[in-house]
Amino acid sequence: MIVDAIIANIEWLALIVIGGVLISWSVHFVPVGGAPAAMAQATGIGTGTVQLAAGAGLTGLISAGYMMNVIDNLPLILASGAIGAMIMISVTMIVGTLVYVYGVGCVPASAKVKFDPLTGDRQDLYVSQGTEGHGLPTVCFVSGVIGGGLGGIGGSLIYYALMKVGIAATSAMTSDVVGLVAIFAVGIFFVNAVIPSYNIGGTIEGFHDPKWKKWPKAVVSSFVATIFCALVAVVAISQLGGL
Amino acid sequence: MEPLIGMGVLALMGVAATIAGASEDLESDVGSQSNPNSQVQLAPQMMFPHRIYNKAVSGEPPSNALMSAIGATCAVVFMDVFSLSPLFALVLGAFIAACIHGTFAITSVMGRSASQQRFKQPVYMDIIRSHTPVIMGYAFITTFCILVISYLLNVVLGHPFPLPLLAFIWGITVGAIGSSTGDVHYGAEREFQQFEFGAGLNASNSGNIVRKAESGLRNGYDNSWFCAKFGGPVTGIAFGMTVFLGNWITTVFDPVRGLGWLSVVAGALIVLILIIWNRKIEVTARKAFGPYKEDKVEEEATA
Repeated sequence: MIVDAIIANIEWLALIVIGGVLISWSVHFVPVGGAPAAMAQATGIGTGTVQLAAGAGLTGLISAGYMMNVIDNLPLILASGAIGAMIMISVTMIVGTLVYVYGVGCVPASAKVKFDPLTGDRQDLYVSQGTEGHGLPTVCFVSGVIGGGLGGIGGSLIYYALMKVGIAATSAMTSDVVGLVAIFAVGIFFVNAVIPSYNIGGTIEGFHDPKWKKWPKAVVSSFVATIFCALVAVVAISQLGGL
Repeated sequence: MEPLIGMGVLALMGVAATIAGASEDLESDVGSQSNPNSQVQLAPQMMFPHRIYNKAVSGEPPSNALMSAIGATCAVVFMDVFSLSPLFALVLGAFIAACIHGTFAITSVMGRSASQQRFKQPVYMDIIRSHTPVIMGYAFITTFCILVISYLLNVVLGHPFPLPLLAFIWGITVGAIGSSTGDVHYGAEREFQQFEFGAGLNASNSGNIVRKAESGLRNGYDNSWFCAKFGGPVTGIAFGMTVFLGNWITTVFDPVRGLGWLSVVAGALIVLILIIWNRKIEVTARKAFGPYKEDKVEEEATA
C-alpha cells in the first residue's frame, strides 16, 4: 500500500525534491554575517543563515498558501511565493542598511572583493580596521533578493506538491489537510535551510563570495535528504483518506 | 470582500505588526538575546564582569515562534472549547505565552550567569527580579500583536493556514527581522559606545562591552532606553512593511478577480524600488564617511 502511494504520487515527489534542492541553493545567495555582522564586524545581515532564509521563505509560503487557496495555477503560486519572500528579505535588508549607515555609522563595504561586481565601486578602502567588512553593498542586496526569491519558489513548490497529494487523498481542501501539508512544508524547508550552513560556516556575502562555489556539495546532500523527507511526507499525507 | 474593508483590515495588521516589531526588538535588548548577546556572554571571560541581563533563550526566530505558537494554540482552545470571545482568547493566549517566556528567561539567565562563576561573574538577584517582568511585558505585547495579525489573516482575509501555524510563521519572521535590524543597533553601537563611532567593532575589542551607564552601572533597562530611540522603531517599521506590503499587493490586485499576475508585477516593482533605495543610501554613505584607508597604489604612483 505504501509503495502504491509512492508510485501514484511520483511526480509530486519529484517536485518536492526539486523544491528542496532550490531552497538549499537559495541559502547560498543570502548575505548573512551571523554574530560578527551584528557587531559590524562582517559584511551581510546580522543574523544566522537558517534564521533569515527560513524567515523569508516561510513568509513566501504564507503568500503562496493564500494564492493556492483562491487559484490553481502553478506558475502564479510559485511567483507569489517568490515575491512574498523577496519583499520580506528586501525590507529587512533596506532597514538593516539604515541601521548600519545611520545607527552605527558604517559604509556598506565588502571584504571579499576589491570592486563591487555590479556597481564597480571600490570596496577595500571602505572596510574599517580589524573587521571583515560591514553593511550591505549593492551586490549583497541583489544576491539576497535572488536568494529570497529562490527560497520562496522552493517552499511554494513543496507546498503545492503536498497539497495535490492531500487533495487527491481526501478529495477536499480541508483545514486539516492544509495544516498538515503546511507543517510538512515548513519542516522540509528547515531541513534544506540547515544543510547549506555547513558550507557557509556562519558568514557568506552572496554569489560573489568564494564560499558560494561550494553550493554543489550542499545541493547533492539536500537532494538525498529531501528524497527521504518527501517519502515520509507523501506516505503520511496520502493516507489521510484512511488506510 | 469589499476592497475598502480589506484595506482597513490590512492597515490594522500593519499597525499591529509595527508594534510587534518594536516590542520584539526591545524585549531582546532589555534581556539581551540573539547575536549581540555573544559579547555579553564573552565579557566575563575577558575579565569584564557586568550587570546586564544575559538570557538568550535561543535565537530570536525560534524563541518568538515558540511564544506565538503557544499563544495561538491556547487562544484556539479557549475559543473552540470554552467559547471565549476572540479578544479575550487572544489576550489570555498571549499572557500564557509571556509567562512561559518568563520561565525560560529566568532559567536561562541563572544558568548562564552561574556557569561563569570561575570568571567572577555574580548572579544579580535584583536584576533578575526587576528585568524579568519587563521581558514578560514586551513578550506579551509581541505575542498579542502577532496573534492579532494571524487572527485577522485567518478569519477576516480567509487565509487557509490554521491560526497556530500562521502565528508560528509570523513569529519566525518577526524574530528574523528583529535579529537582522534592531539588534545591530544594540550589538554594534550600544554595546561598544566607548569606541569611535562608525569604526565597526575591531576583533581585538571583542568582549570589551560598556559596563558603566549614564548613571551607575549599565543594565538591560539602559540598553532598552537607548535602542527605543532607533533600533526598536526601525524594527517595527521593517516588520510592519513586510506584513503590509506582502498582503497589500494581493488586496489591491485581488487574484480572485483575475489580477494575480498584476500583484506579482507590483511586488517586483516594490523590490526594485528597494534595491535602488539601498544603492542611494550606499552612495550617500560613501560620500559622507569617505574611505577609511589611503589607496596604496595611488600613494606609490605619487611617490
